[in-house]
Amino acid sequence: MYIYGGASAADHEKDTEKHTVFMKRIEAGEKIEADDWMPDEYRNALIKLISMHGISEIMGALPEKEWVPKAPSLKRKLGIMAKVQDEMGHGQLLLRVAEDLIKPYGKNRENIMQDLLNGKLKFHNVFHMPTKTWADAGIVGWLVDGAAIISQTNMLDASYGPYQRALQRICQEEVFHAQHGESIIMALAEGSNKQRDMLQEALDRWWSSLLMFFGPASATTTGSSKQEITTKYRIRKSSNEELRQAFLDKYLPRIFSLGLTVPDETIHYDEANKRWEYKQPDWNEFKKIISNNGPCSKQRLRLRDIAYENNRWVRQALAPQAVVS
Amino acid sequence: MTSHDGSNFYQEYEVFSKKNAKSPIQHQFSLLAPNDEMALNMAQENFMRRENVIDVWVVPRSQIRSMTSEERQLWTKRLDNKEYRTTKGYGYLRKKWREKEQGMLDEKEIMSWKEVKKL
Repeated sequence: MYIYGGASAADHEKDTEKHTVFMKRIEAGEKIEADDWMPDEYRNALIKLISMHGISEIMGALPEKEWVPKAPSLKRKLGIMAKVQDEMGHGQLLLRVAEDLIKPYGKNRENIMQDLLNGKLKFHNVFHMPTKTWADAGIVGWLVDGAAIISQTNMLDASYGPYQRALQRICQEEVFHAQHGESIIMALAEGSNKQRDMLQEALDRWWSSLLMFFGPASATTTGSSKQEITTKYRIRKSSNEELRQAFLDKYLPRIFSLGLTVPDETIHYDEANKRWEYKQPDWNEFKKIISNNGPCSKQRLRLRDIAYENNRWVRQALAPQAVVS
Repeated sequence: MTSHDGSNFYQEYEVFSKKNAKSPIQHQFSLLAPNDEMALNMAQENFMRRENVIDVWVVPRSQIRSMTSEERQLWTKRLDNKEYRTTKGYGYLRKKWREKEQGMLDEKEIMSWKEVKKL
């Protein structure tokens, strides 16, 4: 008994020592690699963040691809097709990063997909929402991707090497997505009254989802928030609210410059506090949406399931040995 | 990697590519694929959608002996005491030569010597 007790105390001391070295490394701006020692809290925060990010890229590409055959011109068709392909590519990059992190737990891609389908792994609130018209596709490209760019660029210096490298590539490609979105909404904003109305309606539909995108300002709103952990470990730099304010700073002046409005008559810039004051979205609704009870949650998960089933024959044909199921 | 249907379907691959004849082969990222051919296809789809490349390598990760976490720490720290092998500390020569109306043999100067005047 004594020996075991002694050993575990020594182990604990060793871990504390490792933890100190680890914190010094990330504070010095060093990058952590997949096979480096890391605290469980760090690994688990990364797994949650990156698998959610990766799966969201794929869950976003699935409904977006529905717009490929419906795009209004060949140029738009090619543009949105390239974007959908990028999103799937981003999903692949990020899933690889997540897979290397879950490997020590004996888990793999299969587990990630199962966690998605059984509701354990969440995907971004925006991908639970319907896209009614081509203007929605434009708003998604312009503002949903805009919000994603704000949160992704905030992690370009992330302490975890593989994620940080994936984000460099992703953010470079996001430049194309941003301009693709701008181009669509610009054509509608400068188009006929019908096109302008369509754009305004889409913006009204998406506004609260865009505010929700960054998550609640503090854990007290929804009962949980990982933002303290991710900033402590230098995965990201800013808080949810700081990111939301940055988004409003960048995009609201552009929205207003096009003669568009947002469905919030109270919104204004508070000069004294240097921040936007806005009407809070319904955070109970947010909780409902991300627990797969949003307007399109089930349908989107079904899309993922169908894509997986429809491609089963490909996996079977390529398998090195006969596959049973 | 074993999938739930019991097959060892996926292998981990590391992907490398080369931009042009002069550029070094560069690590891109990793991917999962059932075989070499699919890995090559996916490498192109995942990483070379816009970029021109003249060569792509896909290597099963199991075939790469990379450094361990400990080895990386040792090797990067080792470079701390190698300054005597570099030009650091010789910068004062620039001023000396200038006084003599001459230029210093720096990297730019020496690399320019590859072009020799034709007779």
